[in-house]
Amino acid sequence: MTPPKLLLPVLMILTQAAAFADGGAVQFRQEAGGFAITVFTSPAPLSAGAVDISLLLQNRNGLEPVLDASVSLLLRAQDSGAEIHARATREQARNKLLYAAPVTLPESGRWNLTITIMRNGERTEAMGTMDVAPTSEMVASYWGYIAFPPLVIAAFFAHEWLLRRRMQLRIELRIKRCEII
Amino acid sequence: MDPVAAAVFASWTLDLKLVCLLLAAAALYLRGWLRLRAEMPRKYPAGRLAAFAGGLCALLLALASPVDTFGGLLLQAHMIQHLLLLMVAPPLILLGQPVLPLLRGLPRRVFRDALGPFLSCLELRQLGRALVHPVVSWFAMAAAIVVWHLPRFYELGLHSQSWHRVEHACFFWSAVMFWWPVVGVWPSNPVWPRWAMIPYLGLADLVNTGLSAVLTFSDHVLYPSYQLSPRLWGISALDDQAAAGAIMWVPGSIAFLVPAVMLGMRAFESGRAQGVQPATIPRVGVPRIRARAPWDLLQTPILGTILRYRHFRRCVQAGMLLLAGVVTGDGLFGPQIAPMNLAGVLPWTHWRGLAVIVLLMAGNLFCMACPFTLPRDLARKFVAPRYRWPKRLRSKWIAAGLLAAYLWGYEALAPWDSPRLTAWIILGYFITAFVVDSLFKGASFCKYVCPIGQFHFVHALVSPLQVKVREPAVCGSCDTHDCIRGNDRQRGCELHLFQPRKLGNFDCTFCLDCVQACPQQNVGILRVLPGESLRDDRRGSGIGRLNRRPDVAALVLILVFGAFVNAAGMTEPVMMWMHRWHARLELRSMVPIVTVLYAGGLLIVPGISAGACGWLSVRWAQAGFAWKDLTCSFTLALIPVGFAMWLAHFSNHLFTGWSSWIPAIERFLRVHSGNYPPALSPSWLPCLEFLFLDLGLLLTLYTTWRVACRVVHGGRRALRVMSPWVVLTASLYAAGLWIVFQPMQMRGTMLMH
Repeated sequence: MTPPKLLLPVLMILTQAAAFADGGAVQFRQEAGGFAITVFTSPAPLSAGAVDISLLLQNRNGLEPVLDASVSLLLRAQDSGAEIHARATREQARNKLLYAAPVTLPESGRWNLTITIMRNGERTEAMGTMDVAPTSEMVASYWGYIAFPPLVIAAFFAHEWLLRRRMQLRIELRIKRCEII
Repeated sequence: MDPVAAAVFASWTLDLKLVCLLLAAAALYLRGWLRLRAEMPRKYPAGRLAAFAGGLCALLLALASPVDTFGGLLLQAHMIQHLLLLMVAPPLILLGQPVLPLLRGLPRRVFRDALGPFLSCLELRQLGRALVHPVVSWFAMAAAIVVWHLPRFYELGLHSQSWHRVEHACFFWSAVMFWWPVVGVWPSNPVWPRWAMIPYLGLADLVNTGLSAVLTFSDHVLYPSYQLSPRLWGISALDDQAAAGAIMWVPGSIAFLVPAVMLGMRAFESGRAQGVQPATIPRVGVPRIRARAPWDLLQTPILGTILRYRHFRRCVQAGMLLLAGVVTGDGLFGPQIAPMNLAGVLPWTHWRGLAVIVLLMAGNLFCMACPFTLPRDLARKFVAPRYRWPKRLRSKWIAAGLLAAYLWGYEALAPWDSPRLTAWIILGYFITAFVVDSLFKGASFCKYVCPIGQFHFVHALVSPLQVKVREPAVCGSCDTHDCIRGNDRQRGCELHLFQPRKLGNFDCTFCLDCVQACPQQNVGILRVLPGESLRDDRRGSGIGRLNRRPDVAALVLILVFGAFVNAAGMTEPVMMWMHRWHARLELRSMVPIVTVLYAGGLLIVPGISAGACGWLSVRWAQAGFAWKDLTCSFTLALIPVGFAMWLAHFSNHLFTGWSSWIPAIERFLRVHSGNYPPALSPSWLPCLEFLFLDLGLLLTLYTTWRVACRVVHGGRRALRVMSPWVVLTASLYAAGLWIVFQPMQMRGTMLMH
């Protein structure tokens, strides 16, 4: 049986921990009405395409999370005027303290975000801006899938080379044995 | 429970890839542990299994529990996560003595053939020994802890998903290296005496203590991200940091000192320092690969019994016939709005997606359930066909032409947006199948005409299941050949596939007539290596030598290139290009533009590409090969990458528009719930599409390599001979990647209207 320590470098290359801090990057924080509102976006950096916008609502005074509000979002591109409406809910968030809405941003540039919060019959609004990078940055987020085939090909050629070397060594060993005999 | 606490405990970030990886590791370990326990019960008690499982659970907690979710908001949570990755999961996993169980859990051929050369390579073994040498492993973990807690690198991990994963991988694997000599993973030999692990652990604790003290007693927040994060439960950023330092200090020190004390006590009890152990490890041989009966779907409980039922196929076909009738009726008489009509939704979104997924996971089950041949089977009970299919037409040229026409028609005539046209296509299919098979004997429509059948025949060559004989020796003594001739109670194979000489799934409709006819019950649905028959040069029954048939090569090229052209035609840039030319040329319809695109994409470009690649291969082979034979051989190898594109494309439509059947069904049944899930592309879908493309690329390259080795007997010449085809394959793969990144028209769904 061959020593098992070799398994370690093989496994180290193959596997990676799959985790991501929920919410994403903090875009801005505001206080409006009785709330402290923190807006997160992911992926980071924010780029056009499918994105996730999350909000943490806290009471302004004690900073306890607010979990019973109704939150809606209005995004408007400053350049083209394109608008997106979305409802942010806790069910759509991984972090259940947050309100999240998946949206698709059709273009890059600066976007205005208007947040409308309804709670106990009261309406509160907050506004902020976000800078969205072009879509090409998304390619980098899938680099692992593009790197996978070359790695497998390299491992395959290493395998073939090792096989041939082992065969050659065996042939040489047999020749030496024949010579001894 | 307090709502906030409930929300916290409900905040799990379950990642499908992580869960699959952990389940696969657990399954492998369990399989190997069961085998080893039978051989060495004292070495592998239940405690090993529990330790390994505990380690995996600790990993899951670290990476998927609320600890991970809140790691970006609270440094304390992030520190707990790091402790799990550094001091809980790795030692537990190693206490399970995982190496041998994981190796023994692998399929024997993977262990021996795939991993064998690496495991027996001297240099790699030396590298492995070096990695777990106590000096190297100690410095690895110390460096990982210190470097990743420097503010610059810690912030990098917080701002970038990829670097965050790298950080976690560094923690986990450096910890595996660190704990390896402490646990004494078997069957490796310890390098240092056991008592040396006491200062080893003590020094590691010093590093941990130093770092913890910095965090605990610092008077300013070291990581700016936590300064900017919203404060939860009134905890200030500095208090959070101090608490994180305390968590790192106390439990961290316990994790180092407890094993050190235990080792000290053992050394004291033994009465002397233990030296390096001589090699008392019993030899564990590499398990021999014994010939076993291949896995047979027909022998599985319940499902096998159902499949072997004589009238199973008829029942399934009847069900599909009924469904086809309903869809056709709705298409003819229902509203002509595709998303609201069964004919606009089911065939173009669901059926196509499910058909390719079933091809990938099983085989040509669509042809098994095909409703188009059921009417002709019923008619044949009254009127037998009189003619044999003309010899000159016994090729795939007609089917290839019809397939090209079908792909062109899909884009030019847009049947996906016209339920009535879809219904007429279905009706036309029934009529054609009925007429052809009423006139001609055998399954002439399936074998020589049906474009959908050819799609399935070609792609079933990479399916994991195949109808084939179980024991070839049994067929050697058979002289009735019931599988192809039939007998009194069952007809034989209508596609003239003689089971003992059948090769692959080409032309096989999975009708199971051969299974029912064989008096020895020697035919089953067996597991095979995907793409195995693509590398086989032998003559197959009923199909000849596939790699010498230009009609099959033409069919394959249309399907492979058609996958990319069909998908690209629905992307925004290509559609805009077509509209620009439409406007520039002031044409009345898009048909001429579509015709040019498809003529180029299905005929001209594939023909020139394959021809040029074949010519270069012949030139570099320098062995007098026929251009036609070489081109046909290598063309077959393109099937996996083409299939991958079909899979990526159709699964995109299926999983994005999976709920599109709801409004159509509700309209058909005259009910209204109004509860329609949004047609959003799942976040994991691009990953699945990339995975399909990656696997298709790799299988095509491997097949191309094997074909080249067969032609020129391996080595550098094989690389030269295959290089033009590698370039062609890589180009197709790159095109597939580009297509996946483009916005795609969601035909037949509400998103279109």
